[in-house]
Amino acid sequence: MVKRYTSLAYKAADDMIFGKSVYPVKAELGLEVGAGYVTAEVNYAPRPEAGVSKEKLVSEYRRLTTDIMARAVQIGFPGVALETEHVEQMTNNPDRGGEVAHVQKTIMEEYHEEYGIKSALRHTPGDIRENRDLLALIGDKYDKLMESFEQVADNGADFLSIETMGGKEILDYSILRNDIPGLVYAIGCLGSIDMTMIWSDIRKIADKKGRIAAGDTDCAQANTAMFIAGGLLDKNLAHTIAIIARAISAPRTLAGYEAGAQGPGKDCGYENTIVKAITGCPITQEGKTSTCAHADVMGNLVMQCCDLWSNESVEYHAEFGGTSVQCWSESLNYDAAMLNVATETGNAKMLRDILVLSDKYRDPQGYVLAYDNAYKVAESIAKDGDDLYLRAKNAAISCVDILNAADSSKLVMSKFEINALNNAKDALSAMTDEADTFMSDSLEKYKAEVAVFRPDDNYKF
Amino acid sequence: MDVDPSKILVRYNVAKEKAQTPEEMAAELYPAEEPAKSICAAIFDGEEDDVIEGLEKAIEGGADPIALIDDVLMVGMKITTDLYDQGVIFLPNVMMSADAMLEGIEFCKEQGGAAPEPKGKIVCHVAEGDVHDIGKTIVAALLRAAGYEVVDLGRDVPVDEVIAAVKKENPMMLTGTALMTTTMYAFKEVNDRLLESGIKLPFQCGGGAVNQDFVVQYELGVYGEEAADAPKMADAILSGKGLAQLKEQFHKH
Repeated sequence: MVKRYTSLAYKAADDMIFGKSVYPVKAELGLEVGAGYVTAEVNYAPRPEAGVSKEKLVSEYRRLTTDIMARAVQIGFPGVALETEHVEQMTNNPDRGGEVAHVQKTIMEEYHEEYGIKSALRHTPGDIRENRDLLALIGDKYDKLMESFEQVADNGADFLSIETMGGKEILDYSILRNDIPGLVYAIGCLGSIDMTMIWSDIRKIADKKGRIAAGDTDCAQANTAMFIAGGLLDKNLAHTIAIIARAISAPRTLAGYEAGAQGPGKDCGYENTIVKAITGCPITQEGKTSTCAHADVMGNLVMQCCDLWSNESVEYHAEFGGTSVQCWSESLNYDAAMLNVATETGNAKMLRDILVLSDKYRDPQGYVLAYDNAYKVAESIAKDGDDLYLRAKNAAISCVDILNAADSSKLVMSKFEINALNNAKDALSAMTDEADTFMSDSLEKYKAEVAVFRPDDNYKF
Repeated sequence: MDVDPSKILVRYNVAKEKAQTPEEMAAELYPAEEPAKSICAAIFDGEEDDVIEGLEKAIEGGADPIALIDDVLMVGMKITTDLYDQGVIFLPNVMMSADAMLEGIEFCKEQGGAAPEPKGKIVCHVAEGDVHDIGKTIVAALLRAAGYEVVDLGRDVPVDEVIAAVKKENPMMLTGTALMTTTMYAFKEVNDRLLESGIKLPFQCGGGAVNQDFVVQYELGVYGEEAADAPKMADAILSGKGLAQLKEQFHKH
């Protein structure tokens, strides 16, 4: 039985700041995260053809790791974190992930010895727990996934992360139908149940190997909503629905911390500001320096409380300025330097607020994730922290209320967004306050409507 | 500290909004006569029960169930997809309309004991090693909504299986989606195996990390930036456009 959060780590929203968290974590090669400074976290993907063999994959990661470390030394940056998000060939063959981690950590150790550069290595095995036709969260693939964690931890990965898929079978169905109860069920309930299981086991491995269980993100669900929502002229999903999905993702990501994660939270977890308010754990974020991977409408704002600053993912290839990982790591590091100067000169809160205000009114998503509003969502979650359903529903209601209370001359929403928001409010108002009722009704509904939903096997209902 | 954001950003979506509501625009496009009008409205609203109710009335009134598919259901769906293409309504509206239309088609097939001729057959799949299939689901729904028969192979589909399906089904187009860089490499293998077998059909690729630069590396590949490109590409093939013309039309960079 895990202990749920029922209070916040911060007394006030204004106490939250970049580079500093209540509970910093320390990696093997001297890098501390959340200890008063921000560090770049570089994230990369191998070229398509590198997946054909273990040798090619390992060679690709050897080269890109050397490139990143060399660029940090060339420009004079004091530290860097690296995140290796596994391609499926690495998690499905745990020895490959282990070998990549070993090669990377060896290079980082060499640079630490020669130059004193502080660094940390995050490995993020892929969530391979799916058969061709359905999620299979528990079983052979789960065992292989845990073996992958063991291998990368054994071979030097400081931070262990994953982007779990629990609830995705319902999310994929409900997000394309504006089904708000479906979002609560998929993300808040099913996702949290899965997170509670998997993070308890990841924490055991981390403790056994002397590593840090870092954190998860609702990439498979809230980011799917954000990507489908797209930019201002896209008509794939109302941005008000996307931010409701994001708000619901915060209690889900929180479940990982309740089961043993310690941070730094994963970069694409745009819900991390809400989570940081509750846990006090350090977080990674991505924004304007992740345009190599995707577009979003809060590139500056999301930097507001980051402890590591990431580029999300870039394919390894040549650019005019060097290899892609060199170019992006340089940009990230310059951002980190700026934030750290703000801290050193006593201007951190001023810079934080400038970052926030440059995007706060750009879109409903940024508005709700601005740290003052994110803090309100966090309060609504902690209020019923012991109840996975109620806290997810609270998060959604809080999100709707924050948007409805916004100054409409500043946060200007389209009619579509407002209609979607009103419909969501009605849907939320019609939802029960009883978790058992909601769970049993949802079970019946989605078993009938979603053929690939296997509640007995995956969630032990 | 706060700011007047008006000099910092432009909400282009608000500025571009039409004066009319989507419902008003749709209403102008419905057929005048009943029950076709009500059926089209029910498709636009994504109300499956109302679609069936309207079809029952039409059949009671003497309409041929199979003819209703082309004459009413597809007409209603086109109103939805046209408004989506114009940026008036959102994707979930299209998905819900498609659900309602497909249920209507099944009902008509049951009543009529026959199946209408689809515009063409298309095989859809997600690349081997990749289980992310929401993009493929959207592509398949939009193709079905446009009147095409979709053979959905699902996700994480081995190259051998893609080739076998193309040989068996003889589709007018193959689609592939992928999220990751190393899984999308399977598209190149599919391309090479198809060419080895002497099969030259348009292979529309898109999703996640897939980009035009990668797709142009193989002969059959046509890059689809948006899921909504899939039915447009199928329509272009029906109108006689070959691979080179498809690339010219859909490649943007």
